[in-house]
Amino acid sequence: MATISLSTIEQGIDTTADTVIRNESYFSDLDGLAGDGDFGTSLATGFKVIKKDLPDLDKSDIGTMLLKISMIVSKHVGGSSGPIWGTGFMKAAMPTKGKSELTLQEFADAIGNAVDGIMARGGAKLGDKTLLDAVIPVAEKLKDHAEKGTEDLAEVLKDCATIADGAVETTRSLVAHRGRASQVGERSANTPDPGIVAIATILADWCKANSVEYTPAAPEVAKASA
Amino acid sequence: MKKFVNKPEDFVPEFMQGILAANPDLLEGNLEFQMVKRKDRPVDNKVSIVQGSGSGHEPAHVMAVGPGMLDGACQGPVFAAPPVDACYETIKALATPAGVLVLVNNYQGDRMAWDTAVELAQAEDIKVDQFLINDDVAVKDSLYTVGRRGVAGNFFVMKACGAAAEEGKSLDEVKAVAEKVNNNVRTMGVALTSCIPPAKGSPIFDIGDDEMEVGVGIHGEPGRERAKITSADEITKTLFDAVADDLPFENGDRVALMVNGLGGTPPAELYVLYNKAAQLCEERGLTVVRNYVGEYCTSLEMAGASITLLKLDGELETYLDAPAETAARIF
Repeated sequence: MATISLSTIEQGIDTTADTVIRNESYFSDLDGLAGDGDFGTSLATGFKVIKKDLPDLDKSDIGTMLLKISMIVSKHVGGSSGPIWGTGFMKAAMPTKGKSELTLQEFADAIGNAVDGIMARGGAKLGDKTLLDAVIPVAEKLKDHAEKGTEDLAEVLKDCATIADGAVETTRSLVAHRGRASQVGERSANTPDPGIVAIATILADWCKANSVEYTPAAPEVAKASA
Repeated sequence: MKKFVNKPEDFVPEFMQGILAANPDLLEGNLEFQMVKRKDRPVDNKVSIVQGSGSGHEPAHVMAVGPGMLDGACQGPVFAAPPVDACYETIKALATPAGVLVLVNNYQGDRMAWDTAVELAQAEDIKVDQFLINDDVAVKDSLYTVGRRGVAGNFFVMKACGAAAEEGKSLDEVKAVAEKVNNNVRTMGVALTSCIPPAKGSPIFDIGDDEMEVGVGIHGEPGRERAKITSADEITKTLFDAVADDLPFENGDRVALMVNGLGGTPPAELYVLYNKAAQLCEERGLTVVRNYVGEYCTSLEMAGASITLLKLDGELETYLDAPAETAARIF
């Protein structure tokens, strides 16, 4: 059975840090269209610490490593991103404690738990034009593959990247219903949500890091992933 | 970009260090958590009043710490909520048997950070409650958004709660005061220029030489509309009517009137706005009992202003009259 090891997850977090740090200004620019332009900086501040501390973090098991990352986020990430990403890592840590590798089902459960936690923390749901519009369908796709017993993890990753990428387009014309962009009403329409772009870019970069061929469709994702 | 900045990432800790250095008798801080507190607080028999939000709005919120105002505050990065740890450590540092009241401005980031921090503190049996401030009439209040933003009206909530807490009111009573102020305070702002967050290094939005953003948020968020600039009197009337019609304020009401500069508007211009706003109060039969003209809640160097009206009663008048001393003192 296909499994996902601690070092694969560690590698994924390291790649995520590179994505976020490289796009510090670009993600802030996207946020400035409907919000206040802090998203890229807030997230990059935390991921710079994660990138630096990752080699020496306690990696006795996957859950312990994720919990340590959640604590870094709580301490260093301001803005909405701190509670959202911090809650996500913490909730993913809970079912993965004591495990050094995960089946696809266990991985899907951990991501599902993270998504539930983020929804509870911010009160957002599908269609509110937040990063949940990317991660909810990704979590569902993971669950589908786990239930089908898909062995090819490259196929799973590519599917997830495609779905998140597509969410940039399907949500572009929506009016935000949560987050600071919601407070500008109709004027948030026709701007891409930076959280959705970030998730799609991270997944596109994971494809690249794992030699899975994937060409982003949304122009913002193509730009950020370049 | 020309700014007095050493390194953008050091901007917040350095200005906080400056506030501490300028007020050694009044304040102490823990810069690991971007926190400033009154040296002589907490005490057992007084509710602690706490706030924390993004930087860039000074004198709100960290310069509003002192007797009769906040007991402690923590800062996030410019325009971003403080990290959860900073909020939690601030509650812990001001914890007292009388309780801690956190005044939260209504933004998604602030709400989530404080929700989490309050849960953590309550799990440790710290007595703490929170209250949401949302006075910005520019935002359409609806079930489908995060709701109205907390802007300059925040000052009146801090002032009244600070005074009520000094009087020895209980946590529930102080929270009721916060609710009374928030229910009776309304604000709207206008921007003539954008502001430049140090870490971004460029304006947060583009605006033409002949344009203004009516209903702008204090982080440069878009407001009700982008319009051609008009005369000071006409702009004042637009803001004033939006604010006064919202509650609504009625003939015979006693009010506090604030003209708040957003950071880049000279005091003289604020008084031009005040002059017209005071006239408009008279036309509506509103008696201005107290007035506030100056910078209370800014948006870095944004040229612009907001108008706030607070409907008063005897209790609130007493609280506004009560003494307060903060790092934001001018003389």
